Amino acid sequence: MNAVSRRKLFQLSALVGGGLAGSSALSACGGVGGGGDSAGALRYAMWGNNVRQQNYSKAFEEMQAAVPDLQIAMEFADYTAFQERMTTQMAARNVPHVFWVPSPQVMTYYANDLYRDLEGIETLDLSDYSPTDLDGFKLDGKLNTMPFGIFVPVLRYNTTFAEEDGVELPEDGAGWTWDSLAELAKDYSANSSQGRKALSYGAEHDLSFENWLRQRGEQLWTEDGRVGFTQDGLASWIEWWEDLRKAGATTSISEQDGVAPDWPTVGDKILMNFGNSNHIIDDAQQFPDYDFALRHPPVAEDAPEGFQYLYYPRMAVYSGAEDDMVAKAGQVLTYCTSTVEMLKTVGLTMGAPVNPRVAEEIAPSATADEQEMLRIVAEDRAVERKPRYEAPPGSSTWRTVMGRVLEEVTLGSSSISEAASSMIDEVTTAIERAA
Amino acid sequence: MTVTTAAADAPEAPPRARGRRRQELAAHVFMTPWLVGLLAVTALPMLASLYLAFTDYNILSSPEFIGADNFVRLVDDDRFWASVRVTLTYVLVSVPLQLGFALLLALLLDKGMRGLAIYRSAYYLPSLLGTSVAVAVLWRQIFGHDGLVNQALALVGIEGSSWLQNPQTALGTLVVLNVWTFGSPMVIFLAGLRQIPHELYESARVDGASVLRQFAHITVPMLTPIIFFNLILQTIGAFQSFTQSHVVSGGTGGPVDSTLFYTLYVYQQGFVSFDMGYASALAWVLLVFIALITAVHFALSRYWVHYGD
Amino acid sequence: MSEQILDRTLEPVQRPATAPPPPATVGRRRRVRTAWLRHLGLIVFGLFMLYPLLWMTVSAFKPSNLVLSDPSLIPSELTLDNFRQGWTSANQPFWVFFGNSLVVAVSSIVGNLFSCSLTAYALARLEFRARKLYFAIVLVSVMLPMHVVVIPQYIVFSQLDLVNTFVPLILPKFLATDAFFIFLMVQFIRSIPRDLDQAAWLDGAGPFKTFWYVVLPLMRPALVTTAIFTFIWTWNDFFGQLIYLTESSVFTVPVALNSLVDSQSQSGIGMLLAMSVLTLLPILAFFVFAQKYLIQGISTTGLK
Repeated sequence: MNAVSRRKLFQLSALVGGGLAGSSALSACGGVGGGGDSAGALRYAMWGNNVRQQNYSKAFEEMQAAVPDLQIAMEFADYTAFQERMTTQMAARNVPHVFWVPSPQVMTYYANDLYRDLEGIETLDLSDYSPTDLDGFKLDGKLNTMPFGIFVPVLRYNTTFAEEDGVELPEDGAGWTWDSLAELAKDYSANSSQGRKALSYGAEHDLSFENWLRQRGEQLWTEDGRVGFTQDGLASWIEWWEDLRKAGATTSISEQDGVAPDWPTVGDKILMNFGNSNHIIDDAQQFPDYDFALRHPPVAEDAPEGFQYLYYPRMAVYSGAEDDMVAKAGQVLTYCTSTVEMLKTVGLTMGAPVNPRVAEEIAPSATADEQEMLRIVAEDRAVERKPRYEAPPGSSTWRTVMGRVLEEVTLGSSSISEAASSMIDEVTTAIERAA
Repeated sequence: MTVTTAAADAPEAPPRARGRRRQELAAHVFMTPWLVGLLAVTALPMLASLYLAFTDYNILSSPEFIGADNFVRLVDDDRFWASVRVTLTYVLVSVPLQLGFALLLALLLDKGMRGLAIYRSAYYLPSLLGTSVAVAVLWRQIFGHDGLVNQALALVGIEGSSWLQNPQTALGTLVVLNVWTFGSPMVIFLAGLRQIPHELYESARVDGASVLRQFAHITVPMLTPIIFFNLILQTIGAFQSFTQSHVVSGGTGGPVDSTLFYTLYVYQQGFVSFDMGYASALAWVLLVFIALITAVHFALSRYWVHYGD
Repeated sequence: MSEQILDRTLEPVQRPATAPPPPATVGRRRRVRTAWLRHLGLIVFGLFMLYPLLWMTVSAFKPSNLVLSDPSLIPSELTLDNFRQGWTSANQPFWVFFGNSLVVAVSSIVGNLFSCSLTAYALARLEFRARKLYFAIVLVSVMLPMHVVVIPQYIVFSQLDLVNTFVPLILPKFLATDAFFIFLMVQFIRSIPRDLDQAAWLDGAGPFKTFWYVVLPLMRPALVTTAIFTFIWTWNDFFGQLIYLTESSVFTVPVALNSLVDSQSQSGIGMLLAMSVLTLLPILAFFVFAQKYLIQGISTTGLK
């Protein structure tokens, strides 16, 4: 027995020893894990895909070269993972100095004092903005987040398909209404020789839904942080889409892989889709054989003045950041929002520049798709707009709730009015609970 | 390393009378890493979450004690009950299927034949992929609208729609995913089969026992501790299933909550709605439920599990 | 690790499973036919099982825009672009992430083998008062969903200033926090006939010697199983690595892969598949290597 177990023992310890050697090698190279020499670096947290990650790290290198004594440690993940990590860090009060704010959390973070007031940070240059601009950036009357892009709701269409199929969209104006679009969509889908559909099912798209509400004189959220739309408002939106879906004018939920259409799946099957103005940049690249153009969404005949709105992705400085870091954060914010070099490196996937000077300077070097986006955003920016309020604390799941009630409606397990009232109830309860 | 030193320090030939006290001492030496880990890494967060279950805690500000409100709340929470239904269905269907599969394959792949290593590795491959993000792409490729399954159905003239977008079939695709990754219990079964002393079979053969008899009277009884282990762990694992649905449904548990696993709901409440107090309450309800089921398993185990000791 | 060698070492093992050879040729022919049928069955079933992985591998070699539009297994066009672009798709070349993952995985294996086997032996074989209580705690600690303990745990490591190091990922393994493996090893030890270590005990070996010279060698299948699972699980674990590792220089493979998944556009689908295929290779190699040890349990070494 001894002989046997000795051999076993030897083999086993060889196995374990190999492992130990590995782990001591790791502690040899600079403490377990190495950590990196980022002490004193400014932590910058953001989300996106690998292309954005690469572009931003290049931009940060340029920034470090341009700004003396600046070290940036980028904390990067995709959108969902970014939020998971941020949430954990916030619980431990171990928050990055500068961070992007996910849209459903804007007011939640505010309610919990995570933002540093930006006014009074001397290194932050706000000289390019008009007082009206700055007022539009404020939350609850305070300049505590910095918008760094603009999205507006758009209708995007495939100009290659439109030409092939001989379709022309009506000009903006009296002929471009939700009814005329619906008619065109049904007609196109019924007669398309290629089996193309006019639209993807887009009831789930948040910016377009908000646009619909504002055209009805309603809003998504009120100033005092409640649901700003009625059951009728929501139901009318779902009805408009259900009518098209049942008439076969949109792709089916099955075809587009869920109530939120999957672009790589539907991109070559549809003429038009509702989306954000900035999506054209990434989406068009996935179908290099086609050209795309943007239109403002249709306008209801009785739409009130100033229904247009701008959506801002925002970044913020952490309220717990030490003073020297706040000063550096100001420099970083300035570089990110007020230099054209930054945008030349990172591109315009986060929307049109907020800074009007930068928007002008970037235009000549923008790609065709980017120019299309810049054009449509500039048009919305030029009109006088009624104010818009951010999602209140507790409402962060509203899009998930909306997706679920739309699933119920499209599956036929609930009526449109039931769905609308149950969504409003659920979101209202969540907001009250968080208050 | 600790082990070698400890072994070297051990005194020779202990007097038997002091055996018990020595064992008590030895046990605590053996268990030192675990005891430290329990205090430093495991117990504190668990107790913290138990306390949080009785609070209103939104992660960003301090928890506020609210008594049993969170537990009262879940009685009327439709989504809680939906997640209970989904999870129970999943556990009851996928655990027996996966274990049956794993045991069958382990028995087949335990026998001497050519290319065993290839088969074993091949069957284990899906489990390596586990619940990586690539699974989302793969599952859409198979069960999506234009997926493999529907292409096959089209050959026989049936026009199918996406299996992932149909609440009646979405959970089924996750069961398939779980069964597909039967590699882990299979490996444990294989290891267990190897643990059965060879001599038992030899003496049985000398006594003229048939292969079937050997299976029933040696393999199965000797394997029961491992079957029991797999049953307990796979059941607990199935109750805690999260990633499958998180990856395949994109975190929503849809369509219409048909893949809303209990733990996914816990995650949504904690990390998406920032309601960590309620999430903790949900988690502890699950813990108590799993503990009860495990206790029943243990109570029943004395009737069918045979240990060597 | 070639198949022939493996089969040869297996030869003696199969004895118990095969019935005494009947002399008649009819019998042999039937046996050959059953063997063939079994191979056929296993191959057909294996292809069925492996289809998704085959598809993934083939697609990794297709141009990105053809992955979804041309899902057939026979690609019309082959390219290495996905691998080339994917390799450099993050801030660091992918080998950095492979290196980091390897460090975490290997350390975790060492930690689990060391701490869990000690704990399991005590729970399975030693008599002491708190035994049942400890065992219950071991079991209960695997029952709580991790999402509610991850924040308190993070707070602890954050206070200790250990975020952005591998310590929060490795240290717990040396403290036997993976209760799954303790339970696994307890079950294995308990299935070892007690006479074996009892004998050593009576011969005068103390608990430590008994553990080291008798029990540990006998529980090798459980140790190998633990090593395999620890490797795979740490290699694939995303959530823990995501929250503790924030800088790309310490990213592990799953965290790096995450940036290829864009929730909006999925433009990197080809790269995602290519890099996923690559990440499978180390764990596959490890499994192929380790399963050799897995199948040499007591039955091959024999008990004397």
